[in-house]
Amino acid sequence: MNTNNNFYTVIYTTIVVVVVAAVLAFVSQSLKERQEANEKADTISQMLTAAQFGSKASFQKIGNSATIAKYLEEISEAYTVNVAGEKVAELPLDKVYSPKELKAQNRLIKNGGDAQIPVFVFKNGTTVLPIYGAGLWGPIWGYIAFGTDNSIIGAYFDHESETAGLGSRIKDDPEFQAQFKAQQPAFGESEIFAIVKGGAPKDASGADIVDNKIDAITGATMTSKGLDEAINAWLGAYSAHMKAQPNTVEE
Amino acid sequence: MNAKIKETLFNPIFKGNPITVLVLGICSSLAVTVTLKGALVMALSVMFVTGLSSVVLSILRNTIPSRVRIIVQLVVVAMMVILVDQILKSFEATYPIDKQLSVYISLIITNCIVMGRIEAFALGNKPFPSFLDGIANGAGYGLVLIVVAFFRELLGSGTLFGLQVLPSCYVTNNLVILPPFALILLGCIVWVQRSIQKDLQEK
Repeated sequence: MNTNNNFYTVIYTTIVVVVVAAVLAFVSQSLKERQEANEKADTISQMLTAAQFGSKASFQKIGNSATIAKYLEEISEAYTVNVAGEKVAELPLDKVYSPKELKAQNRLIKNGGDAQIPVFVFKNGTTVLPIYGAGLWGPIWGYIAFGTDNSIIGAYFDHESETAGLGSRIKDDPEFQAQFKAQQPAFGESEIFAIVKGGAPKDASGADIVDNKIDAITGATMTSKGLDEAINAWLGAYSAHMKAQPNTVEE
Repeated sequence: MNAKIKETLFNPIFKGNPITVLVLGICSSLAVTVTLKGALVMALSVMFVTGLSSVVLSILRNTIPSRVRIIVQLVVVAMMVILVDQILKSFEATYPIDKQLSVYISLIITNCIVMGRIEAFALGNKPFPSFLDGIANGAGYGLVLIVVAFFRELLGSGTLFGLQVLPSCYVTNNLVILPPFALILLGCIVWVQRSIQKDLQEK
């Protein structure tokens, strides 16, 4: 058979492509649920890590279902707010925001659109807020947990493709994330939070002073800057809401 | 086991190793060798892709119009790669590793070993030997990956498979984590192999 005539070639490639597309569509549809469940459990473990209910590794160890159960046990309220600080809608307690959903809200925040951003309140009074922005190679996002006095009690960040060992330390370096603890973001100011190149102000013993500044990551200037911008943009959008909270300590 | 099958199966592991001898697939071996776990998953994924695409294309080899040969290969390889990615994302155990490897799983499609073996072997041989050739080349690639990752994780993070093995007084070496060090290590492996196997040395 002549496999080189045009008719044969066109028919052959069409069949191959259709068969491959069908196989992939089938696989993608049948695995979708599992993948979304994994992504959701991952997001939940990030929020729990930020809120200091355990470490990321500990949630990985106990598995997806136990992590989700723990979350549902601790969460007390979830709702969305707009940039003016008004509550827009209640969210179901098991609703979390995937990076894709955060990205959509991020675009609205950047363009001054009508962003409706989620607030997650835990039974112990901790409020967890998401942030989203651009790193060096791809998106970065994460969760920052606040105590009742609006100081940070923990943070967890994730990224899609920052440089391993440098930018990826926003996710992998517990010391970087620990720096956020006890810091006090200046809600409502132009610079709410700062990740400082060259070092944040230190006290005599060399410990980081409680303010709104922490050290950037050496060798990851662009990732640090991206994270700084993401935090400021998102906490800026949350400012009205955070300042309006009755338990806010006046300074 | 006859000699030919043996040759197909073991040649790519050492004597004709795709990375150190054919110098294919270098890029991904720099990117995914920071941790052993990542390297292992990558090695298995590449074996899956090379093995199965070789079989499929070997079965189709007499029907493929030669003018669109490369395109058909690409479609089949792409399908296998997407399958691997989808499967890794679906299991609790592999989900974090898939996240860590991020784009490099999808980039298996650009790995020269896959297309190279299909062109050089699968299109001219029966399905079973092609399958062995695919698996063996994937394994040869994986072996180098694991050796490189062993040193990089040990010296760069002080851990193996995520478990702390070096005492905490060891200051982790950041250079080892960066891609250039993988190239240095690869160079050393090529050096060692060529001094054992003298016939590889160029005059």
